[in-house]
Amino acid sequence: MNQTPNVQLPTSNAELSAGASTSNTKRRVLSIFWRILDFVLAGTFIYAGVVKAIDPVQFASDIDNFKILPWPVSVALAFYLPWLEILCALGLLFRVLYRGALSILTASIVIFTLAITAAKVRGLDITCGCFGHASQHWSFPSHLATNLAILAALLVLGFSNRSRKPF
Amino acid sequence: MAALALLPAAGEAIYFRDKISWRSAIAPSEMITVEQARGWGDTAIWVDARPDDEFASDHVPGAISLNEDRWNELLPPFLAVWVPGKKIVVYCSSLSCNASREVARRLRKEAQLSDVFVLEGGWEAWLKKNR
Repeated sequence: MNQTPNVQLPTSNAELSAGASTSNTKRRVLSIFWRILDFVLAGTFIYAGVVKAIDPVQFASDIDNFKILPWPVSVALAFYLPWLEILCALGLLFRVLYRGALSILTASIVIFTLAITAAKVRGLDITCGCFGHASQHWSFPSHLATNLAILAALLVLGFSNRSRKPF
Repeated sequence: MAALALLPAAGEAIYFRDKISWRSAIAPSEMITVEQARGWGDTAIWVDARPDDEFASDHVPGAISLNEDRWNELLPPFLAVWVPGKKIVVYCSSLSCNASREVARRLRKEAQLSDVFVLEGGWEAWLKKNR
């Protein structure tokens, strides 16, 4: 008979219980961290969206400076993109259509990053307009670093399992 | 979410319909041809929005250099020359450049000047008509 001694059971249960508790605490701390990241990203995109929505004429001009799109498309995007950013940011904040919001924001930051890089390669000295007038005098490395940091945060949130579970 | 964003965007497009043209980056009322600008004679001040080296190599006779690279430095001398009632004609290299548009925008917004116009075709157009 290969029986586990009874005396060891309480110890094992206690260890299991302690392990589960540690794991729960760790998960809880991680959840809080992800939620803070949600708030930071949402705040960033709401700010970026609002400053552009307030002055769509300037944003249309900023998009046009990239020399990629025809003027009417730049105007249409200048009206549309800020609101898309704001709504997606609210999606992150209130966890409504969460993964869709994350995907759209990730795609938009990738496109912005590629556009400013392409502009730099083509020798265009322009403002990306990502954060309205606040980013007007940012250097290319500052733009790139900010965009890559936001992209990294979005990807971390996207690949973390918690985005499928309620907080 | 993508479809929902169309609603406020459409509302904003209606609200800003008088402030932005869907056809051109510059509102037609702010554009001026070389012939029209020359017709203004001494009542117009020419502003060269190109970089310093291009201005140094050649420019419209009597033009004042005012570019974004040295905006804070060049604006005071320009304002010293400007008198109320004078029209301002801003130009940059060619039809595709943006410097004149930006300088014109800043003159209106930051210096609170009116009657600021962008020369259609820029320096290239002026050269064609004058040489």
